[in-house]
Amino acid sequence: MRIEPNPFPERHLPALRQIGRPLRRVDALAKAVGATVFAADDRMPEMLHAKVFRSPVPSARIVGLDVSAAKSVPGVVCVLTGRDLPDARLATDMPGQTGREQRVGSDAPVLATDIVRFHGEPIALVAAETVEAAERALERIDLELEERPGVFDPRAALAPGAPRVYGDDNVVARWTIRKGDLELGMSRADRIVERTYRVPFVEHAYLEPEAGTAWVDEQGVVNIRVATQVVEHFRTVARAVGLPQNRVRIRGTMVGGGFGSKEDVTVEIFLALLARATGRPVQLVYTREESFLASAKRHPFTITHRTGVTADGRITAARIEMLADAGAHPYLTPYVLLYATGMATGPYRIDHLHVDSVAAATNQPFTSAFRGFGGPQAAFAYESQMDEIADALGMDPIEVRRINYLRTGDSTGTGQAVRSAAWLEETATRAAAALGDREANGPQRRIGRGIASYLQSYGRIMWFHDTSRAWVGVEQDGTVVIRCGVPDIGAGQSNSLCQIAAEVLGVPLERTTIHAADSAVTPLAGTSTATRQLYMSGNAVLEAARVVRESLVKEAAAVWGIDPDLVDLVDGAAVVRGRADRRIPLEVLVPQCAAAGRPLAHLAQFNAPFSDGIDPETGQGEIWPDFTFGAHAVEVAVDPETGEVEIRRSVACHDVGRAINPAAVRGQIAGGSHQGFGYALMEEYVLAGGITRTPTLAEYLIPTSCDYPETEVIILESGTGVGPFGAKGIGEPALTPAAPAVANAVADAIGIRIFDLPITPEKVLAALDRRSSAAEGGGR
Amino acid sequence: MSERTIRLHVNGRWRELNAASNRTLLEALRELGYTDVKSGCEKGDCGACAVLLDGQLVNSCLVLARQADGRSVTTVRGLGTIDDPNPIQTAFADTGAVQCGYCTPGMILAAKALLDACPDPTDDEIREALSGNLCRCTGYGQIIEAVRLAARRGHGAGEGGRDED
Amino acid sequence: MTLPAFELVEPRTLSEALRALHESPGAAPIAGGTNLLVDLRGRRRAEERLIDIGSLEELRGISLETGWVRVGAGTTIAEISRDRRIIEHGAPLASAARTFAAPAIRNRATIGGNLIDASPAADSAPPLLALDAHIELRSIRGKRLLPIDEFFVGLRRTARRPDELLTAVCWPLPAGRSAYRKIGRRKADAISVVSAAVRIVRDEAGVCRTARIALGAVAPIPVRAREAEGALIGHRLSEEAVAAAAGFARETAQPIDDIRGSAGYRRRVVGVVVRRLLEEIGERGNDE
Repeated sequence: MRIEPNPFPERHLPALRQIGRPLRRVDALAKAVGATVFAADDRMPEMLHAKVFRSPVPSARIVGLDVSAAKSVPGVVCVLTGRDLPDARLATDMPGQTGREQRVGSDAPVLATDIVRFHGEPIALVAAETVEAAERALERIDLELEERPGVFDPRAALAPGAPRVYGDDNVVARWTIRKGDLELGMSRADRIVERTYRVPFVEHAYLEPEAGTAWVDEQGVVNIRVATQVVEHFRTVARAVGLPQNRVRIRGTMVGGGFGSKEDVTVEIFLALLARATGRPVQLVYTREESFLASAKRHPFTITHRTGVTADGRITAARIEMLADAGAHPYLTPYVLLYATGMATGPYRIDHLHVDSVAAATNQPFTSAFRGFGGPQAAFAYESQMDEIADALGMDPIEVRRINYLRTGDSTGTGQAVRSAAWLEETATRAAAALGDREANGPQRRIGRGIASYLQSYGRIMWFHDTSRAWVGVEQDGTVVIRCGVPDIGAGQSNSLCQIAAEVLGVPLERTTIHAADSAVTPLAGTSTATRQLYMSGNAVLEAARVVRESLVKEAAAVWGIDPDLVDLVDGAAVVRGRADRRIPLEVLVPQCAAAGRPLAHLAQFNAPFSDGIDPETGQGEIWPDFTFGAHAVEVAVDPETGEVEIRRSVACHDVGRAINPAAVRGQIAGGSHQGFGYALMEEYVLAGGITRTPTLAEYLIPTSCDYPETEVIILESGTGVGPFGAKGIGEPALTPAAPAVANAVADAIGIRIFDLPITPEKVLAALDRRSSAAEGGGR
Repeated sequence: MSERTIRLHVNGRWRELNAASNRTLLEALRELGYTDVKSGCEKGDCGACAVLLDGQLVNSCLVLARQADGRSVTTVRGLGTIDDPNPIQTAFADTGAVQCGYCTPGMILAAKALLDACPDPTDDEIREALSGNLCRCTGYGQIIEAVRLAARRGHGAGEGGRDED
Repeated sequence: MTLPAFELVEPRTLSEALRALHESPGAAPIAGGTNLLVDLRGRRRAEERLIDIGSLEELRGISLETGWVRVGAGTTIAEISRDRRIIEHGAPLASAARTFAAPAIRNRATIGGNLIDASPAADSAPPLLALDAHIELRSIRGKRLLPIDEFFVGLRRTARRPDELLTAVCWPLPAGRSAYRKIGRRKADAISVVSAAVRIVRDEAGVCRTARIALGAVAPIPVRAREAEGALIGHRLSEEAVAAAAGFARETAQPIDDIRGSAGYRRRVVGVVVRRLLEEIGERGNDE
């Protein structure tokens, strides 16, 4: 991994002590010695074990549900059905986290009572003394179903007469962009390139299945310890179980991987209901098969690009159509569709643009957030399309991109001006160059190279009016405490906040402690989603730490009788800049501040820019606070007789604004790349008639340590991000360009493009066959 | 279905429990308090539950507790503690090999099994040794680096940690 | 999900195990349990009694007896992968063992278990077919030895009688050169989409005198491609002979469509794999 020197030396980034160092993360050793407690690890006296009874079919009416036999299974304490919960609604929308209204039509049933819309839909809950007793109870539930015709394809779902899954017409969301004059733009084109791209359902496949434990405490507050990306779900839980919001407490654990699927409510409401009904602690741990059935998937998309280009490579106009599968319940579909729509054109300047996007409900698994949130799907299409354009024009793929790249000040497809650095050419050329010399073809290998550039937003949709809060304080011995509601989902969310506080207060990272993710006692910091935590909570910590710093600096300045600007905090002490002999250790300074009545702690709130939405007809307006830009380059070797694709080299170059912890940034890029490679080559959540044919990790394959090479990571730091110290976000951006880079490399290797993911060996052979017969038939 | 008392030598300490015939070693260990042994799939696909059984890497979800009667089990806690970590654990923490941490116990034990048999492995040998431990967060690169680092630092071959429970 | 309830019989000797099995012919022997426990948990199997043979010393051990290699059924795949005798006298089996599932599985899975499970994709089967292996079956009534191609009788069915244990597998010290390859949907820990083991014995003139071509995951049982083998006898490993053999191998395959691959893909690729294995052998000398 390397961090490149700033290619624009006039924009000099200040030297920092903790920021920018690959320090050992504060949570790493505890995890490595097996001390960290995850959500399934609780053991409480009198604890019951819960199980969820789920629909065996994807589309049916519940005609009868008899749980009496289940209730009499020895060891069973409680069985709940939807009829026991007349007012329980599951809010699947998320802006409620930010105080805005829930989206109309976004509720789903907590437990289905009438209609079942997907295989695995929850119908009843059981709590028992042992897991076995709960499992036996599930077997004794008598469910009578009248199966109904289902719809398993979004296009079919939109056809008149289709079985109704959502609303009157199965339309869950639509977005539109009308920018410029499409006809005029197309008329200026020398060539029009039209292609259609498809991406499948994909499963998050985090290592930790969903889990949690709930109990009612001595104040009557329902406590839920749970692996979650959203601590604010206490409001959703409260509403669902009929409690005031201040009577539900979510204690988030270290999450064993989320990637968006622990962003929705998973086990929380079930646990709260059972804990209240039984008066005992209740634990619910999903099996892997259950996790597959119960959790959201990445949206499948069909995306058609029709692009007008001049002979010298300039895009004059584009018409893009997008169709997504929303699955059985809406969840975050409208926003995923918005992301895909808003980023449909990629990091390119297109003045004349029509985009029409629609998401349709089907009787398939509900689709919601998955790292990139519509961005990766859009990127597969727009980056494949750029190579198709280059191919049609006989131009170099990077050259075509270079001509069309957005620059700072240009506007995106929704007319949002890019304000930060848009280092697209910088990242693409570095990534491509770092591939080194191209390997030679061999009898069993055809070598190909591909590049993908991208843009990916960080920070939430601005009309959600996103905020975050953090409290920073310094103890009497100079150690630092941070309290912040931030859920740590493994990317180092909590460590980054510690590093920021350590930097500002001049203490080593080991002298900070963070208490996080507790809705009752840590200031609410919002969701660990949308690549927003470093931006939002990082800025909140930055602000809180600065206020505390100011106190300390002012006190030291007063003691020395000098200007506060001359005081610095270094290595746990106040010092005078440039003088080695003036030093007050914090364990002396802090008690002095306390005695002087100076504040030693501060609660800061950081607000993202607030907006009011985009124009409903033209889609024009600002959506996100900022974007991350970068590129991924790969070299592949394709076996033309077996179709196997091997990634030989991989280089990713991203402008992260500022790398708070380069090892963590590298980890995000390496991990995101691997998820992208899986997306490109091996992952598909296969369904037939709404039932999965990939129910476990033996059928749904994710990459092992042997499958793909390490990605060489090149970090650029423009310092122009809106996060702390000029940071941008990298969590989702890390994944976005990986799959398109692979797709482009395969097309380069075999001389024909595969338009749908995953690019399996069978598809490669079929494409090669098509190419041979086309060649025999007189050419492409 | 019968229960019988079995004894497991876990992290250097004899533990006794009543094991039904269908109890897996994973379930037994977690019941005994070794929640550092993680459940990820219960069918041997993911490696999260891996432990060392008489020094050999096994998926504890696919060993019946009774089949481990009288035998020695090492979980990741048995390699070291926060105050006295094993060099492999330190290396994982230092290289960024730990993100969400859920695969980490099984992964570290797989690394230990490798380094015990092969103290100076090549990268290919490392990848192969870890091939049954899935990680969704890291992309494996920093994990492989951690194993290399542990090999260089002397990985604490043959050391077991004291059981702190 | 927990395992279903079952009784676990824990015999201390092989004869105790055989007696227990005779008394409960519906019981399932369990050694490593890496398939059996998965099937029980998934409710695809429902035996109420298991007989634990995993620690019976009499089932372990690899030995070279006069002209034969004998491997106890309880020998783990890991042991097989690194045993010098098998690397030298059972090379395709050692190869298959090295790429079998994942390390933690290899430490528990046994060769007996892999054969008894009789998956069409069982990785040990094509190598053993290529080695002309025999399967040793024992009951309280005695012992019998079955050629391996009589052992697999149908989809997931073997010739084992309900009161028999598979106690060993053996093969004559092989002549010639062999090779093995599997294709999976990822590079490690993947069920074979197709697999093949090939063993060729040539005379000093390079003419094939013995040919074994065994295919996995392309038929209900692991099979020998006998027509392909026959097409090589009396010929050198020329391009034409190899191509012809590969063609016959393709025709022998009767694959199905499943989540890992289509029948068409399997048929096509098994031909490629066989061809490449023969080419690999052709490039090497006459003996291992």
